[in-house]
Amino acid sequence: MVDFIQMVVSGIAVGSSYALMGLAMVIIYKTSEVPNFAQGEMALVSSFFAMMLLTTLNMPVYLAFFLALVFAVLLGCFLEFAILRRAKDPSILGMIVITIGIEMIIVGFVSWKFGAEQKTMPFPIGPYDSFMFGDIFISKLEVLTLVAATLLMGVLFSFFKYSKLGLAMKATQQNSTAAKIVGIRTNQILMMTWGISSMVGAVAGLLLSPVIMQPYMMWDPMLKGFAAAVMGGMTSLPGAVVAAYMLGIIENLFGGYISLEFKSVVAFVIIVIVLCFKPSGLFARHHVKKV
Amino acid sequence: MKKVLTVLVVSLAFFLGFVPGLTAQEGVTDTQIHIGQWGPQSGPAAPWGSVARGTGDYFKWINDTGGIHGRKIVYHMFDDGYNPAKTKAGVKELQEGTGIFAWVGGVGTSPGLAVRDYLMDKKIPWIGPSTGSLAWVSPPQKYLFGVYPLYFSEAKTLVKYAVEKMDKRRIAVIYLNDEYGKNGLRGAVEELAAHNMEVVAKVPVEKSDTDMKPHVMKLRKSKADMVLLWVTPGAGVRIVGTAKAMQFAPQFMSTSTLSDFPLMTHISKGLWEGVICATFGELTDGDDPGIAKYKREVFEKYASKEERFSLFYTAGIMFAEPLIEGLKNTGRDLTTEKFIGEMERIKGFKGIGSQVSYKPFDVNDIYSRQGSRQIFLVQCLAGGKAKPLTGWMKMD
Repeated sequence: MVDFIQMVVSGIAVGSSYALMGLAMVIIYKTSEVPNFAQGEMALVSSFFAMMLLTTLNMPVYLAFFLALVFAVLLGCFLEFAILRRAKDPSILGMIVITIGIEMIIVGFVSWKFGAEQKTMPFPIGPYDSFMFGDIFISKLEVLTLVAATLLMGVLFSFFKYSKLGLAMKATQQNSTAAKIVGIRTNQILMMTWGISSMVGAVAGLLLSPVIMQPYMMWDPMLKGFAAAVMGGMTSLPGAVVAAYMLGIIENLFGGYISLEFKSVVAFVIIVIVLCFKPSGLFARHHVKKV
Repeated sequence: MKKVLTVLVVSLAFFLGFVPGLTAQEGVTDTQIHIGQWGPQSGPAAPWGSVARGTGDYFKWINDTGGIHGRKIVYHMFDDGYNPAKTKAGVKELQEGTGIFAWVGGVGTSPGLAVRDYLMDKKIPWIGPSTGSLAWVSPPQKYLFGVYPLYFSEAKTLVKYAVEKMDKRRIAVIYLNDEYGKNGLRGAVEELAAHNMEVVAKVPVEKSDTDMKPHVMKLRKSKADMVLLWVTPGAGVRIVGTAKAMQFAPQFMSTSTLSDFPLMTHISKGLWEGVICATFGELTDGDDPGIAKYKREVFEKYASKEERFSLFYTAGIMFAEPLIEGLKNTGRDLTTEKFIGEMERIKGFKGIGSQVSYKPFDVNDIYSRQGSRQIFLVQCLAGGKAKPLTGWMKMD
């Protein structure tokens, strides 16, 4: 029983970083219907930016993190404005290819600028400091990630539901022409969406960085976050979050009771199953366009 | 008459160009010897990229100190990103485009396996693959000379030390689920069998695994008092860290690939202290005169300022030392077969690694091509310093 509880707790803990990446992907998809495969690397470069501030300018960690989040917002806005908006009559496939290109450029830049050797981010909480409840343990950093993910989810839900900007983002996704007619500046909305999404992803990157930093560190969380977003229906914020935690728990239980060899691929098996039986995802409520 | 003579000379030159054996040696000119190496400068294995850079700086030093019998080494290094498909494409391109006399080093068992048969079929010498896989010497290949101690033997030696010197009785192995990790597992199983013992837990790790809790739970459940790590540096740190978080504290021991203590201490934030590793080369912070010479004459003169004088940087030199010895011994008249003959005559060569010896090719004797059979054990101290636990030990 102790093992089972530990696996569930560990699953929830690891699910938080998947949830943040999943949320970041859903935010962009909600407005532009583009799965952004550069999401992980946008978080990566923001995390390395924080690392640079910490090690070369000796900034306090909270200031460096705050500036890294500002950097992430600007980076997201810049990428949308300078690259995606320039694509002429882009198809969804074309946009996906562009995000893959951005991903490769950023990872190359980080490797060149910061080197490929592994590093860790200085952080007040050690990556392996933990709380013990009898035989059950959870790392303090994972508790912090869980808290950050929960807070961000709350803020994002409220933002999309109640704020004018959130509603404008929803309108842009559902019908950008109609949104333009009623006076919404859809270009600006898209740019802001990229900025917000980049910031959410950067929170995940910053909270993973105290463990190990290297140019490929965001690849796995991005894929798992994407898997969660697909399972959740790609447009549902709560869907992505619930799916991310489910994924974390299933992975851990699968690794613990069935096979460690296939633990990391179980997420993708689940995606295939979900897409076969419920192609719109587990939690999506699709907007129906009238012809 | 003059016209006839010219035609004759041109025809003869043309004819000689097509007769095997009478052509010039591939990769060798009057003034140059072309040597190739692949190494990950990007991708997940990039921390091991310093091996190929170390070799490159060593060759620059060789060239600046006179070259080899009037020839300079032209070094062709390419980034394969630890991707076997890229390794194969890069090797073929250089071999068939430029012409390479010999290959040296080459990080990664899988990338190496992708080109082994190609190089052996073409009879191209390959010296010192930068991995200790059994695949290089079982069976031995005439043109392939191992310098890196075998992982299999390393694992046996570590387990033997744990059982005989540290009185460990419950030994678990956590290994990367590929050829590298399985070599370590095989060695541990065999050595324990010799002591009438069994591995108490065999825990595989996939390259993409970042969450080590399920793995460490299995180790903890086995009540292991020694855990042998045969994984990547990042995974090693995560395992040791997660074990600490779970208040599971066995003796960790590991392979030479995780023995870059300054790096491991840095990325584990000090948790690597106490881990015992095998190592294949003289310590970079030790007092070996060879290491001191290379630091002064190679690293300080040629390395980029981002480079660290690390185990893997010096390993790049170490893997190439027997190649240079073979080239020097061959003399000015450099052909593949003469070079192979001279490599086979290398006995007790000591550079900055263990002693290296080869024998005439014998398909039934792996030590005709596996030159190194020694390692020593070190323990990581605070700050990433290494404390030698043994001297050079001959492995089974």
